[in-house]
Amino acid sequence: MDLIVNRVSVYYGDKVGIKDACVEAKKEEIIGFIGADGAGKSSLMFAIAGVKRFKGEIIYENYAYHSPKEAEKIKDKLGFMPQGIGLVLYPDLTVDEHLDFFSDIRELKRDEEYWRYRQRLLKMAGLAEFTDRLAKNLSGGMKQKLSLICTLIHRPKLLLLDEPTTGVDPISRQELWEILDENRKKEKSISLVSTAYMSEASKMDRLYLFDDQEIIASGTEKELIDMARDYTYEETECEEGCITFNKRTYSLRPLNAKKAEPTLESLFFVNALKKNKIPPPIQIEPREQKIEIPPIVMEARGLTKRFGDFVADDHIDMVLRRREIVGLLGANGAGKTTFIKMLLGLYPIDEGELYLLGKKISSPEDRQELKSKIGYMSQLFALYKDLTIYENLVYFAKMHGLGMEKALHRIEKLSKGLGFDKYINEFPKDVPLGIKQRFSLAAAILHEPVVLFLDEPTSGVDTVARAQFWKLLHQLKEKWDISILITTHYMSEAEYCDRVVVLKRGRKIADDTPQNLLKRFPNAKSFEEVFLELYKESE
Amino acid sequence: MKIGVIKAYMLKEFKDLIRSRMIFLVYIMPTLILVMFGYGIKLEVKHSRLIILDHDKSELSYTLINRFEHSKYFNTKVLDITENEALRMIKAAKADIILIIPQSFEKRIFHKDKTEIGAFIDGAFPLRAMTMQSYVQGVVYSMIRDLMERYHIRIKKIEINYRNLFNQSLRDENAIVPGLIGLVLLVAPAILAALLIVKEKEKGTIFNFYSSPVKKSDFLIAKLTPVFLLHSVNIFILLLWALYLFKVPFRGEFWIYWLTSEIYILISLSIGLLVSIVTNRQIVAVILTVIITVIPGFLYSGILMPISSMSKEAYIEAHLFPVMYYNHIIYDTFLIGQGFEAQKNLLYLLILIFYAALLFIIGSALLKKELK
Repeated sequence: MDLIVNRVSVYYGDKVGIKDACVEAKKEEIIGFIGADGAGKSSLMFAIAGVKRFKGEIIYENYAYHSPKEAEKIKDKLGFMPQGIGLVLYPDLTVDEHLDFFSDIRELKRDEEYWRYRQRLLKMAGLAEFTDRLAKNLSGGMKQKLSLICTLIHRPKLLLLDEPTTGVDPISRQELWEILDENRKKEKSISLVSTAYMSEASKMDRLYLFDDQEIIASGTEKELIDMARDYTYEETECEEGCITFNKRTYSLRPLNAKKAEPTLESLFFVNALKKNKIPPPIQIEPREQKIEIPPIVMEARGLTKRFGDFVADDHIDMVLRRREIVGLLGANGAGKTTFIKMLLGLYPIDEGELYLLGKKISSPEDRQELKSKIGYMSQLFALYKDLTIYENLVYFAKMHGLGMEKALHRIEKLSKGLGFDKYINEFPKDVPLGIKQRFSLAAAILHEPVVLFLDEPTSGVDTVARAQFWKLLHQLKEKWDISILITTHYMSEAEYCDRVVVLKRGRKIADDTPQNLLKRFPNAKSFEEVFLELYKESE
Repeated sequence: MKIGVIKAYMLKEFKDLIRSRMIFLVYIMPTLILVMFGYGIKLEVKHSRLIILDHDKSELSYTLINRFEHSKYFNTKVLDITENEALRMIKAAKADIILIIPQSFEKRIFHKDKTEIGAFIDGAFPLRAMTMQSYVQGVVYSMIRDLMERYHIRIKKIEINYRNLFNQSLRDENAIVPGLIGLVLLVAPAILAALLIVKEKEKGTIFNFYSSPVKKSDFLIAKLTPVFLLHSVNIFILLLWALYLFKVPFRGEFWIYWLTSEIYILISLSIGLLVSIVTNRQIVAVILTVIITVIPGFLYSGILMPISSMSKEAYIEAHLFPVMYYNHIIYDTFLIGQGFEAQKNLLYLLILIFYAALLFIIGSALLKKELK
């Protein structure tokens, strides 16, 4: 083994980042780290990259290190790309200047071979024509590709990439993987790559699954899927000790049902069962106030938003019907959040018409009376961190003008129904992301709206909590006749929507049911591939 | 030390400073502080509105009035109104001082009886009031002294204003502008040094340093040299403003001013370095730097109040901050010109060198090539 990570733990004060992680890797291997935000992937990367103190031992090519100081010796062989789009780039430097800088701090010789390699990297990344462009003017995908080739310029033998593809458009993602694949073959380097997308597992040689600051399983994709095989059944009624999601039921006890083919995600459900961390069930009560809902809840005609020369949303048409969940999909910077903000009146509309609940919106006054019918949950969960969950909810209820008695009654009902009642007196920072997500939703629906706008509510949340969240949305739809517009950059979540609208650089490139989309591209095995095709088609 | 690495980092730093237009901050902020504070702080009071109620109307009282009328510090009016009316004028902010010369003022003085002159001063701004008070006292004392000399009476007590010893023309600019240079050269390089490092921490580009073989010392040299060079230019710019805009005399030697200022910039850089170690956000870095440099740079520097007349605690605090030592040498080069013939100046220069070395060593020891 060329890389051995032996019982490594990372702490932030008294908080655990990762505990007792063991990883092994050989030359030429691509190793995948899979798990949710806060599961410990980044912490382990920091330890291996020697940028954070850790406990335990890491041995790379027979050199053992136990601290960042000792890790200095391997840093000339190391390439590390931390998580975050364009994080390691300088906004005011051009593409060429970045490569110069990264080459200079690694003291690379500028021989013929160097220039050949540099040119090849630029070509692979599709940046050869943009060498004079400032980093701040690159798209998200281009930024990630530039970060990657800057990390590769000194031909590292140990490559650490922390979520290089998250939020990046499908085509750039595919290109990133091609660069990586070529690099490992040519340079015989070890690549450790973390990802939030399960579908990328097939591109890895071996996988480590992270959950709750631990590595819960490792092996090839096939081995891992096999681990879940014994516990995966076709969807069936089940009383206790099981989780049902996406046409499959997971149970540790034998069930009287047909076995189903597991996926990688199945393993996270099985793990939750093994650790007895079954999320509390969800039970949504019917609306307290019955109201008439028009058949078309929201209609946008040619909605446009410009920021200077940049067109964030370019003439977008969209309809949201009663009892419909529409997914607004796209990479970072596609214009999803801007669109939702226009619907909410948080950004003025530059061009186009907007109808909400049958009423044309042309002034802020038009919105005022509709506010009680709209629910909104923002990307970063707009919660007050110094108020407890209970106090937060009371505050939001009051903001919507609910009477105290009514407010307390609904808070109690929702906290039980959404299964976070035992956390209600804690501060938001002390509860898991999945719980935070649930009570943020509770805050958005306290006033019983008829339409709900959700901006990336599932981003970074673990598989099980995400599954539960989608179930919750479907229950809401059925019991409340609510309409939901939800944005996400996980293409795989398309299958939980009634209809999906795909945005690409501010333009709508698809608006159809998931089933129709799958039919349109019969060769695509998953929604990921459908979107790759869609993106290619619109190039 | 790897020259290539340092060069690459510095080149990047200069490009970034110019393209992000931060370079304007480097050259506009110091001048702005100097000009704004230089004109804004007025310690002396000119043309204060004085109303004299002369109830004596004697030769002596006319002499006294005459003295006030000839002083540039007072705009004197002799009015024939009641005391209450005069007081009302202070309340209405139409007068700053009322002087009441009592009846038989002259007569009592020549009979060696006790007599009093009433002086009412608008005390809304204590510092201004105190200054006006001392001016009134000065005029009255000097007249009495003349009287005593003329009539051969023994003088018991004379008060001299020490503050203006080396500033005979009593110009505020001479007292304030050199001190402001001490303030600016402490604040500005510290902010820039802190920003250059904290910016990388905030954006995440610091990982390029953490995860590469770049040495800590090389990183520090690359980060701090641009700040040092850029602000070295400010030493000259500020001097030019002082000499030609504020017309402050320069009696000492130029090389002393230059050398001391360069060492002082090193101290400022090191303060910025220390700030960058404890902060992760640019805005916090700026605020923290401003707080820890402006307060000593202003209050404990001798600009507003001479160190020697500070209370004991303040006196000790003033000696803990490097500003006082720098300002001592700078005031000397501008106003006195003793240079290093005065042992104190040499000692203070050594103290400054010690500060620079100490802060830099602490800063570079605390800077870690890893995440906190």
